[in-house]
Amino acid sequence: MHKKKFLLALAAAMAAAALSGVSFGQAAAGPFTQRQLEAGRQAYGDDCAQCHNPDLSGSNDAPQLAGDAFMGAWKSRTTQALYNKISKTMPSGQGGSLDDATYTAITAYILHANGASAGSAAFTADTAAGIGAIASGKVPDDVLHPPTMSAFARATAGERVATPGSFMLPGKFGLIFEGHIQNYEPVTEAMMNNPPDGDWLMFRRNYQGWSFSPLKQINTANVGSLQLKWMWSLPENGTMEITPLVHSGVLFIWGTGNTIQALDAKSGELLWENRLGPAPRRPGPGPSTEETRSMGLWGNNIYVNTPFGMVYALDARSGKEVWKTSIVDNKPGIGWSTGGVIIIKGHVLVGMTNCGRPKTDDHCYISAYDAASGKRDWKFVTTALTGQPGGDSWGDLPDNMRKGGETWIAGTYDPELNTTYWGTAQAKPWRRDLRGSSSGATDYANSTIALDPETGKMKWWFQHAPGESLDLDEVFERVLIDHGEQKTLMTIGKAGILWKLDRVTGKFIDARETVFQNVWDGIDLKTGTPRYRKDIVDQKVEQWLSSCPGPEGGHDWQATSYHQPTDTLIIPLSQSCVFMLGNGSQTYFEMPGSEGNMGRLSAYRTADLKPLWSFQQRAPFLTSVVSTAGNVAFVGDFDRVFRAVDVTSGKTLWKTRLGTTVQGFPISFSVDGKQYIAVTTALGGGSPEMKPGTMLTEVHRPPNGYNLFVFGLPDD
Amino acid sequence: MTSKILARAVFAALVIAAPAFAADFQASLGPMPLDDETKAVIAGRGEATAASDGKTLTVKGAFHGLPSNATEAHIFLSTVAGMPGKQILDLEVTKATSGTIAGNVKLTSAQATALRTGKLYIQINSEKAPDFYPWGPKGTLWGWLFPAHETVGQDVPQQDHWFIPQIDTPSR
Repeated sequence: MHKKKFLLALAAAMAAAALSGVSFGQAAAGPFTQRQLEAGRQAYGDDCAQCHNPDLSGSNDAPQLAGDAFMGAWKSRTTQALYNKISKTMPSGQGGSLDDATYTAITAYILHANGASAGSAAFTADTAAGIGAIASGKVPDDVLHPPTMSAFARATAGERVATPGSFMLPGKFGLIFEGHIQNYEPVTEAMMNNPPDGDWLMFRRNYQGWSFSPLKQINTANVGSLQLKWMWSLPENGTMEITPLVHSGVLFIWGTGNTIQALDAKSGELLWENRLGPAPRRPGPGPSTEETRSMGLWGNNIYVNTPFGMVYALDARSGKEVWKTSIVDNKPGIGWSTGGVIIIKGHVLVGMTNCGRPKTDDHCYISAYDAASGKRDWKFVTTALTGQPGGDSWGDLPDNMRKGGETWIAGTYDPELNTTYWGTAQAKPWRRDLRGSSSGATDYANSTIALDPETGKMKWWFQHAPGESLDLDEVFERVLIDHGEQKTLMTIGKAGILWKLDRVTGKFIDARETVFQNVWDGIDLKTGTPRYRKDIVDQKVEQWLSSCPGPEGGHDWQATSYHQPTDTLIIPLSQSCVFMLGNGSQTYFEMPGSEGNMGRLSAYRTADLKPLWSFQQRAPFLTSVVSTAGNVAFVGDFDRVFRAVDVTSGKTLWKTRLGTTVQGFPISFSVDGKQYIAVTTALGGGSPEMKPGTMLTEVHRPPNGYNLFVFGLPDD
Repeated sequence: MTSKILARAVFAALVIAAPAFAADFQASLGPMPLDDETKAVIAGRGEATAASDGKTLTVKGAFHGLPSNATEAHIFLSTVAGMPGKQILDLEVTKATSGTIAGNVKLTSAQATALRTGKLYIQINSEKAPDFYPWGPKGTLWGWLFPAHETVGQDVPQQDHWFIPQIDTPSR
């Protein structure tokens, strides 16, 4: 916070205190003053609430900062340790970027949020009171119900909010450049079932989630001569992990601030731009709750799911809004959405994240909307409630405490079986000791769910990680692969287990460990049921736990590619572990056996899960993989390298170094008979960036560089 | 030759020299659990090899890049790789930011089993990163002793099967 801002906050605090009858001169035992508390409230709203939520309840990678979970991690430590933690590490990825007064004020506000009282002595960097001695963990009402609507709260309520003065944030929203694209070919169901070779119509290119392009102009013999054809700078700040889409020679891309742009796929010329907003909450890399990973095409429209729970239909030819709807019925706080969409038979299916507040009737769900009107067709709650199949797996927990099962990666679809497949994340809170579900499996969390896309009716579910307790999601891509008559589904979660299921019945077929893991003692290879390590089963709030892999995930959102010609699944893997005292205190270390290599790219034959090749490197991979019929696979990493490898050997055939982390979902497409590879660079990225970022002290990246790069072969 | 290059050369020579005896086990030493607060004092790398006849264990290794001088080195017993355990044996260590570790220690039958099943690890502490902070166990470098296996360099693909500790280390 700048000095001027801080003084304004102080003045506001003094005025508020005068109105409430608080005297600044009164003596009290607390280690901070009322003025610091109020300044901290303002600073928290500006710099922390984006990730930790306005009521300090936490979200995804950002731990809860008020209440039992916070006290469990911090009550035996000092206020100085808390100050050090905040000032050295926050805001995420920008530790030390605020001034001392702001850090002390934020620390004061967090102590207040845990029941500590303001007093006469100012809090300083040297104040070292025992947190357990001054804070009760009881969260005051003014924290649970912030008295004013912050800009962040207004943004989460759907308002198009910009932060004046922020670095490179767009200040104007709406259709700022209307397009007039001629000869745009409407996207049909036939195209969706069998995408044209040169197009990329959906998240993983085909309904089966392969991320495989049938194009073969770029191949193992000539990929070494790949060169940049054009690039496009995207809005800075926030998080971006988007999949560009290509159809009718137009490339569609999402940028931070929910800026949707259509570009000439051959030349990089802007064709239209619609800034849906809101802007990222603050400058610099943002949390993973501020993005979307996929869009969808259908008819003449492009469908965009924005993180605050909106779905927009825009005219793909002009960028004009056709309709918009709120998947959370415009109710703030119910949940967000970052996975994007899959469009099936005129239904726009979308999942949720950071959803389902405790002690409310809200739950996470998958919902579907009519592509023509935006009217909701159905919704499916992804936690098993009382009386439902699997409902007894939550023990005695009442329905209003059964949370989680988020769907932050879009599903896949089998047209023949008319079934859509989705992965779900953990039950929430993700620690079983805090959740209160005891040893219960907590269906349908961390499962594969098979649904009828037209009704939302569940056909089956298979739970990969019953009773998960370490922030190890199983939410990622579901890849549909046939072996003769056998119809399989393959997926891999944070624990690094490659799963193979029968996608007709949901029965377990096989599993392979792809990286070191120590959370499960074993997996029953008849049923697919894992057995947790005993200290995880007996987990207590104040107990340090080791988890390999850690929340970075052995595998995370950086999706696989299925190279169909060779039956090869190419998997980006990460190798780091965590030693944690709850979510509030996580420390990271290299995975045993990894020799410090946090990145691993591995290939498996899917027929029998045989490992084919693997290579390791220090930097983890921060893109999904795209493979092509030219037997080349492309992948990018944390340390700015974008490379092409031979799908049969893993040998690097070409690489280049870009401006910042190569992050997102690369694609391949063609225009006028020429094949291209497109990839984005960006920051943010959630756990796969944050966790290894702490360990990769030798890697230095600029705080900007959100770009789209398009590569191709030299012109004849 | 700068001191940094010299240190690397010494380190490389030590590592190359280490397999002069028949190594049955190897460990890659990396930073112990760290966060943004502690990464300034928890850093460095090392390598170690070990040979055992089931009754004794001979360890040789080298380390470099510690932010402060090494103070002690030990072998620890953990219940599973990746989990901090208890200190059971002492090793000799150079009291500097780079140097060597060595030891020839007797093993109990249980310790020999632990070695074979991947539950022993080497830990080096340093002046600024002792093994205990006010909260949570820490240290500077650690690395589990796993059965000797082939390793390849950065970006170099390894065909077919490759080393994954829980698969390639005996479970009993």
